[in-house]
Amino acid sequence: MSRIDHSQLQGNILRGYRFGLVRHMLLEVTDRATVRAFLGVAAQGGGAEVPAITVDQPPDKTWPRDQKPASCFNIGLTFAGLRALGVAPGDLATFPTEFREGMAARATKLGDFGESAPRAWSQPFNRPEQIHLVASIHADSTAELDKVDTQVSRAFAVRGRLDGYALAQDKVYFGYTDSISQPKFSHVKDEVEPIDPYGTVLLGEPTRQEGLKFGVPTPQVLGHHGTFNAFRVLRQHVTAFEQYLDRAATELLNHPDSALVLPLDAQFSDGEKPLDRHGMLREVVAAQMCGRWRNGVPYGSSPDTMPDPASVPLTEYDYGRGSRCPVGSHMRRTNPRGGAIVQRIANYTRRLVRRGMSYGPIHTEGDSEPEVGLLGNFIGASLGAQFEAVMCDWLNLGLQDPDITGANDPLIGANSSETSWFDVTLRNGGTIRLRGFPRFVSTRGGVYTFLPSMPAIRYLARLKG
Amino acid sequence: MQRKAGWLDKFVDDLPSQGWFQFLSRHLVVPYWIWRDPKPVLPGGPRPSVQPSESVQRMMNLIMPLKDPSPIGRARAALAISQNVDEIFAGLDNVGTVHNARFLLLDGNICMLSVYDGDFSNYIRDFIATIGSVFDAVMKEVEGGDAMVPTTEHIEEFIDWVCAHDLFQAPDIATDLFNLQDAAKGIAPGSLPHDLRLLPRELILQLHSNPNISLGGGYRAYPGYSAAQVRQKFGVGW
Repeated sequence: MSRIDHSQLQGNILRGYRFGLVRHMLLEVTDRATVRAFLGVAAQGGGAEVPAITVDQPPDKTWPRDQKPASCFNIGLTFAGLRALGVAPGDLATFPTEFREGMAARATKLGDFGESAPRAWSQPFNRPEQIHLVASIHADSTAELDKVDTQVSRAFAVRGRLDGYALAQDKVYFGYTDSISQPKFSHVKDEVEPIDPYGTVLLGEPTRQEGLKFGVPTPQVLGHHGTFNAFRVLRQHVTAFEQYLDRAATELLNHPDSALVLPLDAQFSDGEKPLDRHGMLREVVAAQMCGRWRNGVPYGSSPDTMPDPASVPLTEYDYGRGSRCPVGSHMRRTNPRGGAIVQRIANYTRRLVRRGMSYGPIHTEGDSEPEVGLLGNFIGASLGAQFEAVMCDWLNLGLQDPDITGANDPLIGANSSETSWFDVTLRNGGTIRLRGFPRFVSTRGGVYTFLPSMPAIRYLARLKG
Repeated sequence: MQRKAGWLDKFVDDLPSQGWFQFLSRHLVVPYWIWRDPKPVLPGGPRPSVQPSESVQRMMNLIMPLKDPSPIGRARAALAISQNVDEIFAGLDNVGTVHNARFLLLDGNICMLSVYDGDFSNYIRDFIATIGSVFDAVMKEVEGGDAMVPTTEHIEEFIDWVCAHDLFQAPDIATDLFNLQDAAKGIAPGSLPHDLRLLPRELILQLHSNPNISLGGGYRAYPGYSAAQVRQKFGVGW
């Protein structure tokens, strides 16, 4: 029996809510007493003027249809937010360095430079000292979002709002089906990937690496069973991506080894209409860059055709020596599964819970196309050992395999068309190197937040002074 | 056309070799400037870089002060390494990104010098995850080390501690020192004008705050490939 008390965890950590809409409110604490009172009520089931913070339920059970709330409400605090609420300096010092410094200060490590640099971030992310809390509301209607928004706005100075929504079939703007594979905790069985220990996301619990424990900030009531979140606003350059697929497909179409990329007699559709060879090669490039076909099927499981996702296991696979899934693909970089990697003890140790929804289109004068993208949450017990470790060595440097070292993730890496490269795998084990693709995803803003447990929120509400 | 040096130029140029001027600088001018413009201690280890395409290799020059710097204390530290050397080397091997590492006893310090690839924190974390219990024997001989034993349960503190005891790596381009000093004071690099002629003074003041430093990126006999790339080229497996 699990010794985790799920009623004392915020509900957005171990599972997704599967609502259609989200609103992230970026808040500043301008009246400490009012905010403490707000949090006290919110953590005790809410009130007439204060929304209840949604708690986790036994995660092997879904909400019965008649019990699903109209909205869910959760909070994360930045380091500035903890300080604004009056956490003692000695306790603040026990939070890990990367969280204390904040996301903007870690920009170079995260690949946030050039157009993604913090100085180019949109409001309010260009004033990170003003962002104390990120309040996330999930619902199926704007009216429900507005209702909670109004309640929250009474207690905080609202510095920004970001609205997101789920695209049909869990798609993201590049056309991929997303959120297929997540860390699986002890309650779910999986035949291929090992169970992730709760310490992957909950401070104070054992981690994947035997004996290794992430520091729990003090006091214990504040740190225990909390976790960290990298909240990112990621712009997706859809036109550039689709144009590059066109260009790459033409290159592969005319390449002498074209038949080794895709059999000459291959025939498949995009789910709606049959594709010509150029169209199919576009999908091959998209699939190899991601590691999944755009309909969600793992590329390595079916490299010569894009099958119906209902006909193929979507998570039960591994990366063996002969896998056609490129080691430089996005999915294989972020989770190498059981495949051989340079950092021999690091398989399965940098897992992240990902929760994201799309945003946009936002029309800005002078912008060549409306802005669309993803509001992403990357949750883990250690920002340094999980989020930053993936972003730095795996996603943007490719240290995990000598064949990709020096190249960035083709989909979300900090690429520039002058230096980027990606090796498309061939049926005979060889590769064709694609070059010249720009950065397809740029960072528009972000903050590191601490997602406290329910006792921790009540502790914050009780602080004096 | 270059102006011919006059007597005043010659006098000023000759000052650094004058004993009275050296005495004055050492005992009056430098202490005054240390008081007037103290420099924050610059952080140790490699600085994050945008695209390390030229070299993925990084240096660590970890200087760990011994609790007991006497010959007895130094012998204990030497034993802590030699008795565990196989495990330590196996641990470094499992990290996968380490080119070479060696240990020195230098005055009252035990030093670990290594060349590794990529991110510093990942290197240290994976090293401790692999052989933390063995490395604890070394940490018990080090000043302040007891508070971090077992290192597997103080991993974030240990990484910060190693960073603080890794030598500051002086930039290869000397004028970058201005930006690093500004950044340490929270001033955006490049936002303040700096007089190039003051660079020697800034260096002297910095060496007061960081007495031991690593001078530049050092020499490499071959391009900055990763350890795995080198091993792959030699066909010895990675």
